[in-house]
Amino acid sequence: MNTACDKVRDHLDAYLSRELPEETSREVQHHLDACPQCAAELETRARIRTQLQDAVRATPVPAGFEVRVRRALNQTAPRPRTGLWAVAAAAAVILCVFLVNLLRNQANPEQAILRKASGRLTAVLNVGLRDHLHCAVFRKYSKQPLAASQMAADLGPGFADLLPRIQAKLPGDLRVIQAHHCEAGGRQYTHFIIAGVGRDNGKIVSLILTRREPGESLAGGIDQTGVDRFQVVGFESHDYLAYVISDMDAQQSLQLAASLAPTVREYLAAHAVG
Amino acid sequence: MHELYRTAVRLLGDGAKAEDVVQETYLQAWKSFARFAPGTNCRAWLFKILVNTIHHHRRNWFNLRRVADSDEILERTAVCTGPVPERIARAEILRALTSLPADYRAAVLLADVDEFSYKEIAGILNVPLGTVMSRLSRGRKLLREQLSELARSYGIGEGA
Repeated sequence: MNTACDKVRDHLDAYLSRELPEETSREVQHHLDACPQCAAELETRARIRTQLQDAVRATPVPAGFEVRVRRALNQTAPRPRTGLWAVAAAAAVILCVFLVNLLRNQANPEQAILRKASGRLTAVLNVGLRDHLHCAVFRKYSKQPLAASQMAADLGPGFADLLPRIQAKLPGDLRVIQAHHCEAGGRQYTHFIIAGVGRDNGKIVSLILTRREPGESLAGGIDQTGVDRFQVVGFESHDYLAYVISDMDAQQSLQLAASLAPTVREYLAAHAVG
Repeated sequence: MHELYRTAVRLLGDGAKAEDVVQETYLQAWKSFARFAPGTNCRAWLFKILVNTIHHHRRNWFNLRRVADSDEILERTAVCTGPVPERIARAEILRALTSLPADYRAAVLLADVDEFSYKEIAGILNVPLGTVMSRLSRGRKLLREQLSELARSYGIGEGA
């Protein structure tokens, strides 16, 4: 280990947290590509972080906890009296209901956005959004980048070869950080989570593939819509539905989907992945 | 609500107190809702109230170790951390986390488990960004040191 390694190691945790300025992040990435010892140290730190997350998130929440908190909240609302008091009490209760809803949405923000989505999003586009929210946005999986070998292993032989092809189609400021199979709402997905490189690039994009179910189709084979802060682009591919979902603007989203679509279609047609 | 509770448990080391604190956090949130500016990060705002509530109770409940003590701990630890075991039992990693001084533990939890940005953590803990960074750096290093001690106790990396 030399001084370059020492310097990089000082930055590794901030690198994992995507807190480094873009230029430093690139320098670290450059060093990691050439230094297996520091790359191994990065993996160790990422592993500790994942294990720490798993351990804390496995802490059981006592039965009836949420009910008790809500009850306590409701009990603090002043009882209606007369005159100004009644008005104040009514205002307080309205605020309370608003807050509890807000907090409930906070506790389950996926559902809050999906509720907003209903009616504005075709059922087929909703299929992809559900998984994006479940898995990428509300971080069931960590945002730290996994090694390509780990992602290939998570994807298994059917999809592992698709990973480098997708990476090759991404613009320079985006890269795949996680790739795996996942389940949301009882449906199976193959999910590539793509993130912006560098501290100031907070983009999160999902490329999601799921087997088309009978009757599901997109008008004209491709569809796009915006809901909440997300852009959802869906396209049909062989017997799959594919989605690019991001917090980028509509034009950028469509561009990204258009550059990924031929690769995805070609791959799925050639491999007829089961 | 669950992640507030889980963070509170790790900060306080006690489920019953954590439940009280989260309940109080929500009550406090309700009372100060008027001060919540729409568009700001609601999640960070709730965590800030949680941290303030814990801070308020801390003196009554515990004599938590001060950061001054943790500087001594740091001096005692090796400069270079040894290998960390690949598989760590959840209880072991939680024990290592609990062994961190409270201020470092809070920073590590907020950054590495709750995944707040450093800037958000500075707001939640009401300390400068530089303080967040130094607490994180020391806290993460101590955690690695604890885990590598565990590795030594397993006989991993001896003679390396």
